Amino acid sequence: MVEVEHVSYAVGRARILHDVSVRFQPRKLNVLLGPNGAGKSTLLKIATGLLTPTAGLVRYMLPQGARALDTFPVDALARTRAVLSQHVEVAFPLAVEDVVLMGRYPHYGRTPTARDLEIVAAALDLVGMTDFRGRVYPTLSGGEQQKVQLARVLAQIWNEGESPRGQKCLFLDEPTSNLDVHYQLHLLEIARGLRDVDCTVIAVLHDLNMALQHGDAFFLLDGGRVVLETEDATTIPRDLLERVFRVRADRAVDSETGESFWRFRL
Amino acid sequence: MIPRTRRGHAGVYLTLVGLLAASLVLSAAVGAFTFTPARIATLTAQLLGWVPAAPADALDRNVFIQLRLPRVLLAGLTGAVLGVSGTLMQGLFRNPIVEPGLVGTSAGAAFGAAIVFVFGAGTFTRPLGTLAVPVLAFAGAFAATMIVYRLSTAFGKVHVFTLLLAGIAVNAVCGAGTGFLSYIARDPQARNITFWNLGTFTTADWRGVTLVAICFVVCFGWSLRAGKALNALMLGEEEAAYLGIDPRRLVMQLLVANTLMVAVATAMVGVIAFVGLVIPHVLRMLKSSDYTFLLPASALLGAVTMEIIDVVARLIIPPAELPIGIITAVVGAPVFLAILLRQTRQGGAWLQG
Repeated sequence: MVEVEHVSYAVGRARILHDVSVRFQPRKLNVLLGPNGAGKSTLLKIATGLLTPTAGLVRYMLPQGARALDTFPVDALARTRAVLSQHVEVAFPLAVEDVVLMGRYPHYGRTPTARDLEIVAAALDLVGMTDFRGRVYPTLSGGEQQKVQLARVLAQIWNEGESPRGQKCLFLDEPTSNLDVHYQLHLLEIARGLRDVDCTVIAVLHDLNMALQHGDAFFLLDGGRVVLETEDATTIPRDLLERVFRVRADRAVDSETGESFWRFRL
Repeated sequence: MIPRTRRGHAGVYLTLVGLLAASLVLSAAVGAFTFTPARIATLTAQLLGWVPAAPADALDRNVFIQLRLPRVLLAGLTGAVLGVSGTLMQGLFRNPIVEPGLVGTSAGAAFGAAIVFVFGAGTFTRPLGTLAVPVLAFAGAFAATMIVYRLSTAFGKVHVFTLLLAGIAVNAVCGAGTGFLSYIARDPQARNITFWNLGTFTTADWRGVTLVAICFVVCFGWSLRAGKALNALMLGEEEAAYLGIDPRRLVMQLLVANTLMVAVATAMVGVIAFVGLVIPHVLRMLKSSDYTFLLPASALLGAVTMEIIDVVARLIIPPAELPIGIITAVVGAPVFLAILLRQTRQGGAWLQG
């Protein structure tokens, strides 16, 4: 549902993306992979509309037709896609419920409707944070804060009861890098569940095994270019991984589940 | 349906409105001339044309209408301006220790106004007429605030130490400028600057009240619409942008609106520090950090506080009056230090910026 066409991005003389064309697949968990500095986060920020590409364009395919990002009104865009960042700090004592309600800001004017508040409650329930709704956000642990932020972005693109459901898009920018393994798995499980409600998920993930295990489509970036695009994690060539990530990689098999995974060494 | 966290806001508003009414009457009553509440009611009714004025009351009425009433109104308006301004600035800088005195707005306004006081009549300010003081105050305040904002948000995040240091530097430069002007000024002007650097309502007149009222209504009216956007800005500029807010435009509009009302109020009454810091802080502790609540509530509480401070200023060393800025600094500075200390102790991540 999101298409990136011939996008380049440069800051001063540094070229961060070179003529990248990517078609993210609707209702799938799309994963951007690559070493530090490959341009993953930049590509994600361009796809969300936060950064304007130096050349090329981004298109959102919606039921009512394709829409280029530069003609997409910011408030309509905010109702179509949401972005979960790595870590969101708040210096003020704000209630968890109020943070999640911010996700509904693009949907209401002065006061939230009953429906907005229902969605806030449902989003908190989905991430398992209902008991925390009255707590003060800055006093929560990192993992709990990230769950609250997830509830906020889910509330932002919550698909209402109408049919056909609107196409929504969720971007995850290294959402699990501060989380322990339980929170990582929980977050990815929720992200995978979104595919069933007409939501396209596009994620930058650092843990390769975690990404390959949970993703549906993979885009490997290196030096500002897409070097591999595949839907089958098992087809990723070992020599490519070794070259791009500058490691030695071995494929190992879990003796209990029979699933294969990568083991990396320097 | 009202979210759980918003319940009770109406109660706070009602209490504040009640307090404001009481403080207005109190402030109108006390001073060199004492007016009873009944007398205030009669005189106000006469002023509004509800009852015919009796010629026997001329002196009484003149004191009330020409001196007391403008002063009461100007104090209330200034308090509201400073309260709202503190709230706006804290939202803008995403930090609870910011207020117009800290980030150079007040000092910049003072410097701009001092230029008019000293070089005043018949020079380059002539085309501006009687608006010269507010206009130059605005120019000075805007430049000072802008410099501090740009320096402290250089990398998208607010760096608190840069903010404090930039504030100190800009305040020092503006203070030196004002000091230089009062040094070269002839005596009556210099005395004016000194008095007015400490904040005073003694010079209140209807023209000042009208000017501050217009600026306050326009800027406050606009800022009420920014409540949600300011809340979103608490998450950071990127997150606000993802929620459909243009942070740069919001910040520019906020800076202009905020600087306009602070500069005009400062041009009329002088520099009054710490009110903008304490008012939002008290409201945050009482209730919540939700800006849709903080903005109207800080206008009300600011007005109430300023009326009370002005009453104290009139009563504490009669027949003389204490400058307002002295009282606000004595009360406000410890609060400032307490906030700073508490946040440092919490290891608040915002300190590292």
